Amino acid sequence: MKRSHLAYSILAVGLGLPMAAQAAPFECPSRGGDIVFGQEANVNSLDQMTSNTISTRNIAMNIYESLMTRDENNAPILELAESMEESGDGMTYTFRLRQGITFHNGKPMTSADVAASFNRYNRIGLQRSTLDNVASWETPDPHTFIIRMKQAQPTFIEALSSFSVPIVIIPSEHENDERQQLRTVGTGPFRLLEFTPGSHARLGRFDGYKPNTAFEQRTGFGGYRVACVDTVTFRIVTEASARVAGLETGALQAVEDVPTRSLDTLRRNNAITLVPLQNWWIQIALPNTSTPPTNNIAFRRAVQAALGMEDIMDAATDGNYRLNVGFQFPNQPSYTDAGRETYNINDQARARALLRESGYRNEPIILLTNRDYPPMYNAALVMQQQLRAVGINANLRVVDWPTSVQMSQRLNSDEWHFYHTGWGTQPALGALATMQFLVSPNAAYRPRDNNDDPDVMAAWNRMNNERTADARQQGFADMQRLILERAYAYPFGALTKVQAVRSNVQGFVPFRIPRFSNVWIQR
Amino acid sequence: MIGVAFRRLLSAIPVLLIVSLISFGLMRLIPGDPAAAIAGVSATPAQIEQLRRDLGLDEPIYLQLIDYYRGLAQGDLGRSLLLGTGVFAATMERLPVTIGLSLYAMVFTLLIGIASGIIAALRQNTWIDQAAMMFAMIGISVPNFFLGLLMIILFAVHLGWLPSGGYVPFSDDPVGWLRSLAMPAFSLALLQAGLLARITRSSMLEVLRQDYIRTARAKGLSQRKVVLKHALSNALIPIVTVVGIIVSLLLSGAVVTEALFSIPGMGQLLTQAVLNRDYPMVQGGLLLVTTFLVMVNITVDVLYAVLDPRVRYE
Repeated sequence: MKRSHLAYSILAVGLGLPMAAQAAPFECPSRGGDIVFGQEANVNSLDQMTSNTISTRNIAMNIYESLMTRDENNAPILELAESMEESGDGMTYTFRLRQGITFHNGKPMTSADVAASFNRYNRIGLQRSTLDNVASWETPDPHTFIIRMKQAQPTFIEALSSFSVPIVIIPSEHENDERQQLRTVGTGPFRLLEFTPGSHARLGRFDGYKPNTAFEQRTGFGGYRVACVDTVTFRIVTEASARVAGLETGALQAVEDVPTRSLDTLRRNNAITLVPLQNWWIQIALPNTSTPPTNNIAFRRAVQAALGMEDIMDAATDGNYRLNVGFQFPNQPSYTDAGRETYNINDQARARALLRESGYRNEPIILLTNRDYPPMYNAALVMQQQLRAVGINANLRVVDWPTSVQMSQRLNSDEWHFYHTGWGTQPALGALATMQFLVSPNAAYRPRDNNDDPDVMAAWNRMNNERTADARQQGFADMQRLILERAYAYPFGALTKVQAVRSNVQGFVPFRIPRFSNVWIQR
Repeated sequence: MIGVAFRRLLSAIPVLLIVSLISFGLMRLIPGDPAAAIAGVSATPAQIEQLRRDLGLDEPIYLQLIDYYRGLAQGDLGRSLLLGTGVFAATMERLPVTIGLSLYAMVFTLLIGIASGIIAALRQNTWIDQAAMMFAMIGISVPNFFLGLLMIILFAVHLGWLPSGGYVPFSDDPVGWLRSLAMPAFSLALLQAGLLARITRSSMLEVLRQDYIRTARAKGLSQRKVVLKHALSNALIPIVTVVGIIVSLLLSGAVVTEALFSIPGMGQLLTQAVLNRDYPMVQGGLLLVTTFLVMVNITVDVLYAVLDPRVRYE
């Protein structure tokens, strides 16, 4: 017996998107023109298989495509595959490829290219552990690709469709390209024209692109995609003021991460439209449970009781935030508010009582943070004041980002008690991707000797291994409740990232990655 | 002269060896995980660990040092962890951009600095002298980052005369190159121009008091000839010394300017390399920049002898 995911995927898209109600597929209202996008972070390589950086994804996801991707609500959908069938025992996935797809070099895509892409990913892909449970893949004919599993993994499709480090499909002759040396040839609506690391990447419309007719509109990274503009140039503009100036002068048609101080000015400018991207990341602090006193649950709960999330998020984001319980966002199907009673307590009397219960003796408490990401630094600063207000001797340790990550990952470290970070991509990818941060080997809260809490592990295993989606979701809700009740993490809230476009740029809908298909310039 | 240059080149070898060792050691001494930096903020610890192994960062430091010097002996500066390309190739792509910017800034520096220094010296203790020195002081005091921002607001946002950022290669469009680098070069030059103006003024004042200047004037030579031929040529030695230093200051100042104006030069490359702990890139980039600066200093030394026949290196 076989179960088809195709019908499910299309149905999910149809229900999730108001534009799906339109009868005809998308057509560009106008064609031509050039868009210059001001990107805040440097991009060093366009090798999407070996990079997890947002800056690479910003550009590469307009060039490459995968067998499966995510829709507007981050649900898995088919992209280069026209159908996918999972065998009844969950041991085999059969993908039927869309026909007539060509690479930017003119070569038709076949299952041999898919196999070569999987081979390269399995050799050097940054997230190649996705394929750990895969026994083999086969290409019985040019349009069929089969994945055989070592054992059933109900979450495999969720992992396979992840855009964190996606298995993008490349021509088979590029299979042996070395890490970061991948020749940039994909099947997407845009092809690479020019790339100067540290400066810009220029993409041009790929006239041989064949939109996915299973859809009528763009959705997430997939759907019915059309390149309406001639070129898109991603220009690296790291200085926020320069991005704003470029947008005002028209040198840039779109920018990301507009600083709060510029928002009022830009709002008054009719030539500019602000496009806030809500739920960009979860601002979070993680306790070090391998060292005292943060290995003491009463102390961690005292800290939890002392935190007022409005003040922390306001300082962290300059006011661009939404309060948010837990590790998913309300627009996601996997969202749950399990454990909400632990959130935003802001009760100093209760915090002091728990502190007494914990036996805390005014030991110095180190809040590990960095200045590379101002939200992390600002959140730590307010948290420090809130902890001091209840009698905790809280101190900041400010280092740069690479150092803070290095310190946070040392096993049984006593150099810090709370580690400030932000989770962006993983919450967007879903509960499974997010909660991996809370179990070994990723456990950011660092249990002593990597000995995870057995109750948390049991919930994690249910999230991964239950056969039905409902049971896995229940596993997630249980895990979130446990994490929050035992104060293994302090999620503060959701940060909003503001993007902006010139008002004649139409069709630009904020998403995790700026998408330039189905975007046109109004004449 | 050739012997002087050759001896200077030989003495540069230990300098370069010391720089290579210091850059290697310093990069390992500062904390921070290159894999964490390269993987980005959304990487999981497992991905970071995977990357660490892929990049060979789990090897002992002494093995990394041996690899580094073995590579240097073969003329191989290594491969950038961040870019994945050879350090030499990456540097050769960016260095011309920064050298172009620095030369452009040098033109502004020389024009503004020497001209205002000469004028101030010739009009000593007049309002012109005061104004020139005040201008020099402003140039020295205003950070080039702040000046750059003011220029963007005025010349790009309000007047629309110049682009707010970006870089146009000279080979693509020479006029575009001039326009794209005008603001960065000027903001970079102003500080050095202030410095040069003050040095030129004091050097010119010193020379203008000399007997041979009085003799030249007594012979009835024009003021222009006295100043440009007799005074300036003799005042040039300290100015050339300062210009040598200014070249290195312009290169280091380019770090901030390049970031502000989004110019893909050496400054941006090295800043990113340091922030991301791209060891091979920092080591190789510093070595090449040091080599360039050593060459500039050797040129300055040789120029002394050209400008003043009395100068001899024994």
